[in-house]
Amino acid sequence: MTTVAEAVAPRAQAGVATRVWRFVKRHALTVYALLAVGYLMLPIAVVILFSFNHPTGRFNYVWNTFTFDNWIHWNSILGIQSAVETSLEVATLATLVATALGTLIALALVRHHFVGRGATNLLVFLPLSTPEIVLGASLLTLFLNTTSVIQLGFWTIFIAHVMFIVSFVVITVKARLIGFDRHLEEAAMDLGANEVTTFRKITLPLLAPAMLAAALLGFALSIDDFVITYLNAGPTQTFPIFVWGIARVAVPPQVNVVASAIFLVAIAIGLGNVFWQYRSAKRTRGVA
Amino acid sequence: MNPRMTRDQLLRRGAAGITLLSVPGLLAACGGGGGSQSSSKVNDVLNFSNWPYYMDTPQTLAKAGVHKPTTLQQFEKKTGIKVNYYEDVNSNPEYFAKVQGPLSHGKGIGRDIIVSTDNDRFLGEYISNHWAQKLDKSLIPNIANLIPAQQHPPFDPNRDYSLPWASGMDGIGWDEKLTDPVTSVKQLFEDPKLKGKVGVWNSMGDTLGLVMLENGDDPSHVTDSSFNRAIARVQKAKNSGQIRSFYGNDYATHLSTGDLAATMAWSGDIANLADPKLHWAVPEQGGIIWTDNMIIPLGGSVPTASTYMNFMYEPKISAQWAVGANYISSVTGVKPGAEKLDPKAAENTLTFPTAKTLSQMHQNDPAMLNNSDYNKKWLAVQGQ
Amino acid sequence: MGGFFHRHRGVTPYLLLAPGILWLGIFFLVPMGFLGYQSLQSGIFPDFRFTWEFSNFSTALTDYHQQLIRSFVYAGIATVACLLLAYPLAYWIAFRAGPWRNLFLLFIVAPFFVTYLVRTLAWLNILADQGPVVRVLRDVHILAPDGRLLATTFAVISGITYNFFPFMALPVYVSLEQIDPRLLEAAKDLYASSFQAFLRVTLPLSAPGIVAGTLITFIPAAGDFINAALLGTPNQQMIGNVIQAKFLESLDYPGAASLSFILMGTILVMLLVYARIVGTEKLTG
Repeated sequence: MTTVAEAVAPRAQAGVATRVWRFVKRHALTVYALLAVGYLMLPIAVVILFSFNHPTGRFNYVWNTFTFDNWIHWNSILGIQSAVETSLEVATLATLVATALGTLIALALVRHHFVGRGATNLLVFLPLSTPEIVLGASLLTLFLNTTSVIQLGFWTIFIAHVMFIVSFVVITVKARLIGFDRHLEEAAMDLGANEVTTFRKITLPLLAPAMLAAALLGFALSIDDFVITYLNAGPTQTFPIFVWGIARVAVPPQVNVVASAIFLVAIAIGLGNVFWQYRSAKRTRGVA
Repeated sequence: MNPRMTRDQLLRRGAAGITLLSVPGLLAACGGGGGSQSSSKVNDVLNFSNWPYYMDTPQTLAKAGVHKPTTLQQFEKKTGIKVNYYEDVNSNPEYFAKVQGPLSHGKGIGRDIIVSTDNDRFLGEYISNHWAQKLDKSLIPNIANLIPAQQHPPFDPNRDYSLPWASGMDGIGWDEKLTDPVTSVKQLFEDPKLKGKVGVWNSMGDTLGLVMLENGDDPSHVTDSSFNRAIARVQKAKNSGQIRSFYGNDYATHLSTGDLAATMAWSGDIANLADPKLHWAVPEQGGIIWTDNMIIPLGGSVPTASTYMNFMYEPKISAQWAVGANYISSVTGVKPGAEKLDPKAAENTLTFPTAKTLSQMHQNDPAMLNNSDYNKKWLAVQGQ
Repeated sequence: MGGFFHRHRGVTPYLLLAPGILWLGIFFLVPMGFLGYQSLQSGIFPDFRFTWEFSNFSTALTDYHQQLIRSFVYAGIATVACLLLAYPLAYWIAFRAGPWRNLFLLFIVAPFFVTYLVRTLAWLNILADQGPVVRVLRDVHILAPDGRLLATTFAVISGITYNFFPFMALPVYVSLEQIDPRLLEAAKDLYASSFQAFLRVTLPLSAPGIVAGTLITFIPAAGDFINAALLGTPNQQMIGNVIQAKFLESLDYPGAASLSFILMGTILVMLLVYARIVGTEKLTG
């Protein structure tokens, strides 16, 4: 293309070349972005595709025929249903507790000046900068040395998940609180509302989206966690631990079904959010 | 239902429903370890931990042409006991590490039966540490069907604590599309055409057992020099890139996908794969035989577990299980029963090995399995 | 109650902090103490005794320095690869994606929604020796006829890169997105080429995102053991594999604990050095 442009308009060479360069650059980047997204999506597509496969033997890696059977009989593999239930129970409980604890810490950090603020910040930051294997290992040594009080199982997984989710919640909620207009609350107080009422009527509704985002993040982290859970699960099986076990023999398509279902639910929530933001952006523009 | 499970589940569900978990609830749940009290009555739930793909399922039975409910379903129907069947044993050391905490404090692990292999040191540990409970033989009249060869194992001479679940053999499996038959460890470790496409196990007894036989050493009486010879041979094959990796159960996937051309393989697995391109043979120098054993861990219900064991030692039931799970049963009279279910079953020499094959089988030296120095060297070869 | 808060304003933050900080204290700080306690024990399972066994650390270093170094090398390469792959994508989404922005952001985080193990197992299928990718690469002679992708260093590093890609892409995007477009226009007016404008304005302004992304990619990558376990061989074992095996297979708790400490210590030192180089405020936000 460059050569054609050069031949046709030698005098405008610089301008055309720049324009061609811009064109290539612009589209090269777009092509790259699409390729990169393709790379990110490739394993996901494979997972979803093979959830509809009817494998000829035990191994689900060669495409045979399309079937809905795996989705209909997703729990026909021994142990998969209880593992999924355990994962959902842990994720729900851990998310609720961690969101509550993390939000309170975020409120204290943003709204108050107090002695020990730096230490608190550090304590919140440290779990994030510690590799999972070390977090899991240290908790395991705690539980191994206190077996007369607590045994590895559901509740140790729960404890571990709350521990590593809290920091994520603090960061998410803190980011939202910093951008807040405090005047709303001050106005409410001026109008005679006490702190509790103000919190309930003003702060909480304003915080709700951030808490929801933090909770969704926490839920996703919990349901996907393998390393910390693996070390502290004892005989209890979550879905990832079930997968780790069954991967030693043969991963049945039902594992793909559960993974795809989790993915689709998450994506549906994500798409809903994208759509909602798009619409509210349009509406605000309309008002303005 | 097992009262502890019920309360635990209720607690979890309930707690998930309310916004905050009550502190007393958490404490109660943490404290309730189940203890090791063994009641004398049969529970209505049996919690059973086993290796994956070790049970007859509707799919495997259909493949064998057997159209009957699975043995688990038959057991549930016959006794009214619901079985929670967990396929969560992936490796002997890993499972042992998972449960030893509560067991060493005399507490239960929420299981009535677990399975452990006799060619690893852990089966002996469970029994010698008194972490396994005595079977209630009055509830297991079918124990009379146990084959003589399995009646007096060294780890449990009178079968007071354990009963065989299934046996299998160590040998070599290969993919005929990728290689000629591989019938010796020498060929496995030295054939240049197999470079990078050879698998061995991550369990010491199995892998070194086969290598020792190749070296002309006796795997049931290991000396420092025969151990070092074997490990040096593995190390050499690993360093040269001949060995792709050390596998647990997962070698079967890699063999099946063609990532491996030949690998050390357990007999039952190859039968399970039912893939015409895959073959299995006992190496010319001989193979290793092992047996997985059922035990009742502390806290498990002895009557419930014993009832199940008795059921599985019914020849007809064990025959159906053998047809569906493709492993060797330790129950007498299984072969005729299996033939009745599937006329071709008896031809499967992996499930029903010939006398000649069995004569080539050896057992691991327990002293080697228990030697911590050897275990350390074994892990070092694997980069751990 | 409101009156109480008014009268005791100084107490309020501590009341807010108490439950969460207690949780982190008991289940993060205290366990670190136990880890230290365990790392100085001696003996063979199950009879460990606390004997100030400092030799655990030197033994761990002599026996496993290879795996330790390998972990940091793999994590380092994967982090750089993530940055190189993610930056152009994040840039495109921030400046070129227009109304599709949020949709593409969703694409970036999408891998997170597929169970970690399942998506790594999917790579196992995609890169299989008899699979389509290897076949094509053999046909075009990038791979030797008996060459392979799986069970290689390349596979392990690629797996880590894929799995931690979003950790890099998101913070980089956030920092790019906050750049005022007017600033870029001004820059283009000042500098001759847009490349120079990128180099002098966009890149420095996105530095906080790069710093954050590098950290949250590198740290978990260095401790990872799943990619090495599923996609590698004994020659690719990382420190996480060793710690995991010592805890869950060989039951060498003191050895596992001392290795965990060494891993954490090394990362903290690297973090401090990094903080000195880029400035502390960029690290903690």
